[in-house]
Amino acid sequence: MSISKTDTTGAQTVAPATIASVRGLKVHFRSKAGRVHAVDGVDFDVRDGETLGLVGETGCGKSVTGRAFLRLLPVPPGILAGGSVMFRPQTSCAGCGGEGCAQCGGSGRRPTPCPTCRGQGCPDCQGTGAETLDLLKVSDKKMRGIRGDRIAMIFQDPGKSLNPTLTIGEQLGEVFLQHRSADLLEEAGIDSGESGFQARALRRLAGQRDRRTDRMAAALWPPLRRRAQSVRQALDNRIAAALGETQIPNPRNIMRSYPHELSGGMRQRVMIAQALACDPDLIIADEPTTALDVTVQARILDLIGQLQAKRGSSVIYISHDLSVVRRICDRVAVMYAGRVVEIGETDQIFNDPRHPYTKGLLAAVPTTRTPRGKLAAIPGSVPELVDPKPSCRFADRCAHVHAACTASDPILSAVNPGHDVACFLEHPTSPKTEAAE
Amino acid sequence: MTDMSRLPTPDGASDAAPGSILSLRGISKHFPIRAGALQRVVGHVRAVDGVSFDIRPGETLGLVGESGCGKTTLGRLASGLLSPTSGGSYFNLDAAALSKLNAAYALPEDARAAALAPIEAAHGVTTMPKAAQARFRRNCQMVFQDSFSSLNPRHLVIDIVGRPLRVHKEASGEALTERVVELLEQVGLGRQHLYRYPHQFSGGQRQRISIARALALDPELIILDEPTSALDVSVQAQILNLLNDLQAERNLAYLFVTHDLSVVEHMADRIVTMYLGRVVEAGPTRTLFDEAAHPYTRALIAAKPDLAMDDPQVAKFAALDGSIPDPARPPRGCHFHTRCPVATPNCGWELDDIVRLLERSEDLFEALSDVSRHSDFAGELAFEDEDSAQRLAQALRSDATPASMRSAMESLTVDGRMLKVRFKEVGEVQLSDRGPDHIAACVLKDA
Repeated sequence: MSISKTDTTGAQTVAPATIASVRGLKVHFRSKAGRVHAVDGVDFDVRDGETLGLVGETGCGKSVTGRAFLRLLPVPPGILAGGSVMFRPQTSCAGCGGEGCAQCGGSGRRPTPCPTCRGQGCPDCQGTGAETLDLLKVSDKKMRGIRGDRIAMIFQDPGKSLNPTLTIGEQLGEVFLQHRSADLLEEAGIDSGESGFQARALRRLAGQRDRRTDRMAAALWPPLRRRAQSVRQALDNRIAAALGETQIPNPRNIMRSYPHELSGGMRQRVMIAQALACDPDLIIADEPTTALDVTVQARILDLIGQLQAKRGSSVIYISHDLSVVRRICDRVAVMYAGRVVEIGETDQIFNDPRHPYTKGLLAAVPTTRTPRGKLAAIPGSVPELVDPKPSCRFADRCAHVHAACTASDPILSAVNPGHDVACFLEHPTSPKTEAAE
Repeated sequence: MTDMSRLPTPDGASDAAPGSILSLRGISKHFPIRAGALQRVVGHVRAVDGVSFDIRPGETLGLVGESGCGKTTLGRLASGLLSPTSGGSYFNLDAAALSKLNAAYALPEDARAAALAPIEAAHGVTTMPKAAQARFRRNCQMVFQDSFSSLNPRHLVIDIVGRPLRVHKEASGEALTERVVELLEQVGLGRQHLYRYPHQFSGGQRQRISIARALALDPELIILDEPTSALDVSVQAQILNLLNDLQAERNLAYLFVTHDLSVVEHMADRIVTMYLGRVVEAGPTRTLFDEAAHPYTRALIAAKPDLAMDDPQVAKFAALDGSIPDPARPPRGCHFHTRCPVATPNCGWELDDIVRLLERSEDLFEALSDVSRHSDFAGELAFEDEDSAQRLAQALRSDATPASMRSAMESLTVDGRMLKVRFKEVGEVQLSDRGPDHIAACVLKDA
């Protein structure tokens, strides 16, 4: 991985209520035409338990930002050119065992204590005592432990992101085998202290590290076969429970079917079950309903909302559909050409948009009130992001463009509490000054 | 704008004024399902099953429905890209011919053929003289959903847009180039784009090229098959505005096939809602959005996320249960009764509905060994053991079964391992008048 070690100046303390914070994230791609600045200095925080919407048009870098959380970017041609994605994993609260008590504020979760200082506060964790990981720098092994366990992703097209050669049960089971093999062994009644070939083989079988000899022994040697079957049983129970939670009727039947046998809505439910299987702290939903019909979309959005409320996890909801984002998100970040141009509470963004791009996007959606043929289209198209000059990226499509826009980069700064905009109209002279309001 | 003046006239079909560009009558497309080593036909998917409507000059007709309801197939049938299994499409009917056509279809089946013959000969898309067919193909153009696959990647823009002009011998050489430039300028492109390949354009620009190609022969009707579903909102707005300007300029008629209700509400004068290959409701746009008569239309509209959110009470998504049933064996009666929130005993509950219920249960479906049908409405289900039969009978009498389905059962008896069921026999639900120019197929008359 080619992670630049230099640009850490942007890294800041994670405020207590935030679960993840992105600072100055830059993801570039090498291409024949030059270096494409797909994501070029993105900053935002994800608060604990909130749904953050990431909105923008095709090619604005919203999916790349989402994937940077899980480091699911092809490197090369991708270049993680700088910035940080700080993430604070959580565990279930020791005081109440996940039921919710005063100590954890009823959420049943608490931040994982910092491994260096055991929660006392040290320079590693900036004195907060909570484990804070820079997802762009942690080792690949650690990252594998986080993917699917602490951070999970729901992909856009379930038809393409489920493996067509595995049954639903087999691919859902992988999550548990990777992250919950200790629990599976415990449920199957295999003691963690047990040693010997049988126990070692079972541990390998339950952790996706099985060898050919293990599989042969499990098939031919009755004592091992019986115990391997009880592990299998425990696994099946978990898979069925995970599927059942997404309101799939008859989960045991669905487990045996292949993805092509299911409808689009059902497949997306399987994806959601897979993402939520390990009760993650952060779910990245990358346009989960784009490939679905409106009637099914409504169901899936309901389901994501319910499960999130039940578990208190945070969601980054990536979408180009403003009406959906308005319905389900607490806060919204509007992205354009690799930058966040406006971020704020959903009401602030939709009722009081400040950036000309946000205004343009909102006006472009046909509603009951728009007279026919009078949709406010934004002229032009998204600029190519090959070696951009320092200027507002929206300048060539903006109706209010002036000298400052083409001369330097606007910086995100507050217009109202919690509502930041990167536009020279709001911050005329210097980007640092507060707006008149 | 002309949209106010183009509001549909009351009782459009028999009104003397408009006539129709394209009329479909009872059009069906059944795709065979083949199986086995000999690829024998084992059934038919009824993609489109007896659809009738008119497209009037200069209007936009919206065609909405979930994926798999047959709207794309219908678009292709209308444009003549697919030939129908049965039914007819008629081109360029004036008011007199249209009323003759309606009169012919009002006749009983055996007398119809004679009355239809003169209309078929003059207007039937497949039966009219060759010259008239050529005129139909010129006047009915199509814009496809996916501009990646509908523009030849090896051809230059001038070839793509100029092809229809060349085929119909409209222009060649210098004149052709000038015509293509003119067309490109109409859709917001220019001379500099003539010698480029499709891959050099963005999605919105490619869709403009498709529209330019459709406009080349100055058609009267363009069939738009989800023209904006692959585009971003800001680009979608550009394309929708362009389509509107072109319509105002040239008095084009559009058949706008889409699943996006916000777009269709914005664009269409009239809307046709389809479900499982059939029209369930048709009417003027405002009527459908304000007082839809069919529960499926209401569900679609309720599920549409709306940016405006005037009423926080309706901000909750209304959702439909279940998925579209298999179109190879559509439900009897009203196709929608399996998912309908206001279903009645008269909606066509049948034996297959029990099987659908069984599929959702854990173990009863496994225990089912045989189904023998006397008709679609009556039959026997045999189980492997008596207990399963008893459990199903209990489930069918309990609240787990929709109340309307329970009251549609005329008899339900358990005989050992056999469960005998008979449902009320119900005919197909017909489209009926609900107001000016507004028809719906629902057993609830004043829903």
